[in-house]
Amino acid sequence: MKRLVLTLVYSLIMRNVLKLFTGIKMIDRQNLLLKEPCIIVGNHNSHLDTVVILSSLPSRQLIKTHPIAAGDYFGKTPMKAGLTRFFVNAILIPRSRPKAGETGADPIQLMVDVLDKGDSLLLFPEGSRGEPEKFQKFKRGVGLVLEQRPGIPFIPVYMKGLGKVLPKGDPVPVPFDSYIHVGKPVYPQGKTAQEIVEEVERSIRQLAEHA
Amino acid sequence: MNTDFDLLAFIGDSDTLLVIALIYGILLFATLLFWIAGMVKPNANLGELKMRTKSWWVMATIFVAATFINPIVSYFAFALLSFVALRELASISKNVREADRRVLIWCYLAIPIQYLLAYYGQYSLFLTFIPIFMYLWIPFMLVVKGVTEDIGRSMSVLPTQLMLTVFGVSHLAYLLSLPDIEGFAAGGRGLLLFIVFITEMNDVFQFTWGKMFGRLKIMPKVSPNKTWEGLIGGVITTTVVGYFLRFLTPFSGMEAILICLSVSIVGFIGDVVVSAIKRDIGAKDTGNTIPGHGGILDRIDSLAMTAPVFFHIVYTLYYLK
Repeated sequence: MKRLVLTLVYSLIMRNVLKLFTGIKMIDRQNLLLKEPCIIVGNHNSHLDTVVILSSLPSRQLIKTHPIAAGDYFGKTPMKAGLTRFFVNAILIPRSRPKAGETGADPIQLMVDVLDKGDSLLLFPEGSRGEPEKFQKFKRGVGLVLEQRPGIPFIPVYMKGLGKVLPKGDPVPVPFDSYIHVGKPVYPQGKTAQEIVEEVERSIRQLAEHA
Repeated sequence: MNTDFDLLAFIGDSDTLLVIALIYGILLFATLLFWIAGMVKPNANLGELKMRTKSWWVMATIFVAATFINPIVSYFAFALLSFVALRELASISKNVREADRRVLIWCYLAIPIQYLLAYYGQYSLFLTFIPIFMYLWIPFMLVVKGVTEDIGRSMSVLPTQLMLTVFGVSHLAYLLSLPDIEGFAAGGRGLLLFIVFITEMNDVFQFTWGKMFGRLKIMPKVSPNKTWEGLIGGVITTTVVGYFLRFLTPFSGMEAILICLSVSIVGFIGDVVVSAIKRDIGAKDTGNTIPGHGGILDRIDSLAMTAPVFFHIVYTLYYLK
């Protein structure tokens, strides 16, 4: 059921709506054809980023790809949490790890569990959405996950224009041209979380310069 | 207005069919020419020409399908063309501020209204809606928004974008709403085919003459590929072609020559004006929607100006009673 809904929403409806509304071009989409578990990482300027990446995925991979969402924002009400889990196939995590002595789920462990199940993750290392076409500081989370599971690749993705279509703080979408550029899967060379995050950032920036 | 589509009448309309056959004949010729040239001289750099020709096949087919299958489809197709062109221009323009986002919605909303006016043949509203009403409404909305820094720029840029992408192109759609006149069988559809064909051929001719014989640059700072040889060669060839295609129009021979001369020169003007805008932005092509051609705007830049000029010449000569 969920598989059908996700296919309908993203592969059929949203892909075409985005094409008509923003003329989105999906460059090197074939790089998303990866059977093994991976982490898709992209720059983040708009709520549409997740929608665009899910729409670019081959439909059979939809059910196995889980966007990572901030629990405090998307899980504000049980209703919102349920909708996000069902229609976005998201996994809600707390924004920070529990400090010593605190109880609660460890977000890094939650993400590692998904990979161990054989599924993939979609996350935005910049955290919250930034200004259109500007990078923010990359957070360490993706590095901490990949550090624990060496051998798992990440796929860098760069999107442009969506921050103008639907920016942070304005709920009304306006048509602008946009594109998504998918890079080749990268098997991180770095050993520490910091090195891996730098590698991720480098790959996304490289895509940005190439376009 | 001919909204009831009659397939038999369409097939019987041999003038139109002849021109469609001509279009595909030219495309076939060009494709074969570049293919053979590629075989004879494998080192020649024909990649761009081949890609352009390929795109022409697609564009010609879309145009023929959209224009001749059903008139309603034509209005939608031209409206969509305006939409994509406006989106492209607004996206690359550095003169659209972040504060103009919401105001842009009004520009987009003008598209369906302008095409509805064309569909219903509301001549004076059609003519005044963008140059007068939108020209008043957009600055007002910008003022309401309240960001005054660089507001003058937005006040002129947004209506100009509408004029280029919506007002100009919508004249093509209005041609289909023109009433029938006695003794002129091809009607608005013939006129539409004529102006689009002449304008696009003019682009191709000016490009080809320029490539082959171009030496004296007209305005090297704006458009280094534009030469006097290209312009003059293009104007003459276009006029000759237009003279022989005048069976699509109600024109006499002399009228056809004068009209084609003006269309040809106006096409050049449209081309260099958009070139200058591009240069200001620093973009080589206005987008990458059409392989080898750049964006939609690069293909309709001349059309945006020839369509209204042609329309009003024809209207004044034949439809103004």
